[in-house]
Order: sequence, then structure tokens, then C-alpha cells
Amino acid sequence: MSETAVLQAEVLAPWLRELPVSTAPGMRVPARIFADDVLWERMQGDRSLEQLLNVATLPGVEEAVYAMPDAHEGYGFPVGGVAAMREEDGVVSPGGVGYDINCGVRLLVSRLCEPDLHGHLEPLVHDLSRSIPSGGYANPKLRLGAADLDRVLREGCRYLVERGLATADDLEHTESAGSLAEARPEEVSGKARERGHDQLGTLGSGNHFVEVEIVEEILDSAAAAAFGISQGRVAVLIHTGSRGLGHQVCTDYVRLMHTVMPRYGITLPDPQLACAPIRSPEGQRYLGAMSAAANFAWANRQVIAAEVREVFRRAFGDAGQLRLVYDVAHNTAKLEEHGGRRLCVHRKGATRAFGPSHPETPRAYRSAGQPVFIPGSMGTRSYVLAGTDAALTASFGTACHGAGRALSRHAAKRAQPGSAVRQQLEALGIVVRCPSNAELAEEGPHAYKDVDRVVSVVHDAGLARRVARLRPVGVIKG
Amino acid sequence: MARKIVPVTRGRMTMSACPVPEHEFGEHRGEERLIVRAATLGDALVEAAQALAELQGVHGPVADQSPWRTIEVTAADRAGLLIEWLNELIFLAESEHWVPMNFMVEAALPTRFRARAQGVVLPVAPSRIKAATWHGLRFDSHNGMLEAEVVLDV
Repeated sequence: MSETAVLQAEVLAPWLRELPVSTAPGMRVPARIFADDVLWERMQGDRSLEQLLNVATLPGVEEAVYAMPDAHEGYGFPVGGVAAMREEDGVVSPGGVGYDINCGVRLLVSRLCEPDLHGHLEPLVHDLSRSIPSGGYANPKLRLGAADLDRVLREGCRYLVERGLATADDLEHTESAGSLAEARPEEVSGKARERGHDQLGTLGSGNHFVEVEIVEEILDSAAAAAFGISQGRVAVLIHTGSRGLGHQVCTDYVRLMHTVMPRYGITLPDPQLACAPIRSPEGQRYLGAMSAAANFAWANRQVIAAEVREVFRRAFGDAGQLRLVYDVAHNTAKLEEHGGRRLCVHRKGATRAFGPSHPETPRAYRSAGQPVFIPGSMGTRSYVLAGTDAALTASFGTACHGAGRALSRHAAKRAQPGSAVRQQLEALGIVVRCPSNAELAEEGPHAYKDVDRVVSVVHDAGLARRVARLRPVGVIKG
Repeated sequence: MARKIVPVTRGRMTMSACPVPEHEFGEHRGEERLIVRAATLGDALVEAAQALAELQGVHGPVADQSPWRTIEVTAADRAGLLIEWLNELIFLAESEHWVPMNFMVEAALPTRFRARAQGVVLPVAPSRIKAATWHGLRFDSHNGMLEAEVVLDV
């Protein structure tokens, strides 16, 4: 596909377009894009659609590949890309999961109301920033020996219950109970372990964050009641992933896939899509290592949540208790049943959004659907949604994972310096802790798409229903 | 696919013989696109390492430097070599907080690169760059100059 080529998409609905298999050589399935006119226009400004068409060439790809409304240019897969491969003849691609394996978001809610923060917000955010290591800092409180790290990789959050850092209720409200049984720690390299052994409970950098939120508006009372969310309450949103351990797992397995692809006769339009058959020894090794890294990521968010709870307890005593609403992943490849077939669903910057009737939706949420979180940016609203049964057929049970970047990092810095972003956020009454003005500029609200528009497409397309809107009041950037 | 590179920032020029190795950062919606130009493979890989150090917040020259050490990587071709080299440096930065700044190239073959390196040990691991990706990777020759392009995951 030429960069300047005009894509002829069929408009299936105001929020859905389809590019047929004739769009690019080698496509096995069409590409479907959830976007309104504005988001569609924006997607044509970078390589996201070209990357989606490349994904449609992968062996064993089923039905269609999808771009979520927050999609933007990534590497290999677009960010916001979804593709399902048949287990029997499909491939698994580490690049289709990404380097930050099982990056995800979790939401905790308190019984505190906004006025309870009066006089406490600044010290609260300060304490959070001091207590949760970010950037390149390790976690001095939790350095894992080889045996402990092995258990984290094998058991994920289940291991943390034993350590007093998680509860049974936390597990019930985490995707896959925070533990993938397919994990094979023995397939995680020594280099990956070396990068990750002191990083459990750390935020990292980039777009990772901890935010203190106020539930600004309830948009679906029944679902909000099921999720235990009510207007005016204080909540906390945590976004991070598997840190250096996951990054190294991806690096290791992209390399491995390159060495074995000739043996399986696989050729690709983009080498970052390097892959192997799901049922091959290499495919199985990757899925085992990826699952172990996913367990590490869930444990990472759980340890951070434990620290957040401790900070709230120091500030508010028992009144500061935080209950986990849910934890969702957005960089995974999972074997799932869809339409009676076993598929390996790659979600790169895309969130699972199962409906009320799906067996993996937590029991407590069967009346509503699985919670889905779509963070905006540090200065804009974030949304809580509920997955739908319709999403299973529309997008393999998937919704988007954020607002999606609108500007490159350099363009964002040119558009607004970090100091101005800091002032803008402070003017909105948001307490910000970010050591670097440059990184603040890269992640400023101006760098992202309009989250309201993105969420509207998700809602209108029936991928997930709007439940509540959150307003940030405190931001700790990684 | 040919793609116009939009220069964003130009790297520090080195004092080596003309033509001088150079690097710049191009546009990418979410990551960092690095473009390196040099006369030789060894110069290109050294320049890529110095660009990486720049992204990791280390700008030479630095006074308090660690002892020299040897780093060696192998790959199927020079583009793969660039990926392996950068990923090895990213690993060393995160695991040892060590960022190399000075290099002595010992072997620069299309499938093997070995260099002695000296750098700085930082108090905190530089965490900004996660990996060097294969997306849009190229390593071309133009009029006796080498030009490589790689997307770094942020």
C-alpha cells in the first residue's frame, strides 16, 4: 500500500468501515475500523491502517481484523489492533502483543466523597508519588529472589494473597483472576528475570500513571450499582504493565520467531509481525513465556494497589478503604472460544469487553457485563463502561483501551512545553507529580484524541456501554 | 515503501573523519524513530548507541566513567545487528544502569559486531526506551554512505 494511496472503505455504519481483501496484496480477511468520520480521517494521517492491512495477511487469521477508535500507528500491529488466529492453523505473534505484555488498567473505589479530599489532596498525591516507585526506580521494599519470582511468574496475583498483598475479592475482580494457568516460567530468560526482579510494584515510564479520580457522573445507574460506583466518590485508576521483564520476553521471542519462520514457510510484509504457528514448539514456548509475563504484570498492578491502599489508610484511616472494581489487560494474546472455534485473540492496545452472559465475566457483574476502562489523558475525563454480548460477534469481545495518541511525542513537545501543561493541569485543580517536564509535554491532554468522541464510537457500535465518567484530581506520571 | 523522514532533532556530531556519522529523530505517533548515517557499519552502530544514550538522558562527554568492557552481538544481517546491538544496550542500561558513551570498534562484520565500551553508571535505570523494534527497519547504502532507520519502543 502506498502511503499516499486513498483507501476505498465501505461505510457499514456511521461508526464502522470495512476495507476489503482486495485493498492490499496478501490480505486473507477484510479490515474493519471502528471510527466516525473524524477518527477515520485522523487514522489516515499515520501508518495505522497500513499496519492493520499487514495484520490481515497473517496465516490463520479469522473473519476480520479490527482497529478500535483509539487506533494509532504502532510497530507491527497498530495500537488498538485486534486479530484472532485459528488455533489449528494460525500463528501467534509476539509483536501482536507488544513489548509491554499485559499492560492494563485497574480501578479502585473508596467510600470517600470529594469533600473528604479537602485539605488532603496535595499531601495524598505527594505520598502516593513517594510510595510508588516510578520512572527507572526499582522497588526497594520487594526485591524478589529466584524462587519468589518463579512463583509470581507461575501464579500471578494468587501468590500475593499468600504474601498479604491481595485478597480473594481482588482475584475475583481481576481478568483471568490475575493468573494465567498456561504460564511457563522456565521459558522466561535469565535476562528477562534480571530486568524484572526488582520491579514488582513499580510504575515505569511512558504513559503509565496512577490517578486519583472523582466519579463525576453516572451514565448507567444499574451497571454502576453493580460495579459499586456512585457519583462523587473518590476512585483510583492505575495503568502499568510487565515492566522490563515483559519487554525482554518480547525481545527474546521476536528474535526466536525470526529464526524459525523460514522453517514454517512464513513470509511477512513487516518483520515486526514475526510469528510461528500456535501449535509449534516455538509458538507454545512464547505463549508460556507471555502468560508468565502477564502474571507478572497483574502482580505488579496488585502490589501498586496494595501500596495505594496503604497510603489511603495513612491519610483517612478505615474510611480510606479501596475496593477493586476490576483489572483489565490490553496487551495480550489469549486462547478463547468464539463461535465454537478456539482462537488466539491478539489484542494490542485493546481491552477485552465480555458481556453479561460470558462465563469469564465476574459473577457479581453478570447483570451488567465486564467492566471496561477507557482512560482519557491526565487532564481529561476517563470512562467506565460495561462489555456487551454483542461485542463477541462484532469484535471478538473487544473495546478500546484509551483515547489514543493524536500527536507524536515530538509534535506534542513542540505544541506545548511541559511547564505549560503543568500550569494548565494545576489551573484545572489537578495535583500533578511528574519529575520531567519533557515527559509531561509528551503525555499532555493535547497529545491525545478526544476521549468523549472515542467512547461515543465504542458505545454506539455496541462494543461496550457507558457506565460512568471520571474526573482526574491527582496525577502521578511514570 | 519509501517514506519521507521529517527531521526532528539532529544528534551531536562526532569528531571522527569526514563524512561524519550523524543521527536524527523522525516522527512516529507513539514511539521514537531513529535515523543514523555513517560511512561504515562500525560508525553507524556507535552513532546509534550514542543516539540511544541521548534518549536515555545521557549526554557526553562525562567525567566519572566506568571501566572499559567488551560487548559482542551477532545477527543474520546488518539490520538485525543494529537491533541486537541496541537491545543489548537497553538491557545493560536497565539491569546495570550502565550507559556506554565511548567506543572502540574491534570487529564490524555484516553478521557480527564487537566493541569495547566505556560509559557511566547512573543512579537510576534509564527506563524511557523499552526495545528496538523490527518495524520499518532498514539499513541501506547510498553513494558510499550507510543509512539505517529503526523504531524504538517508548
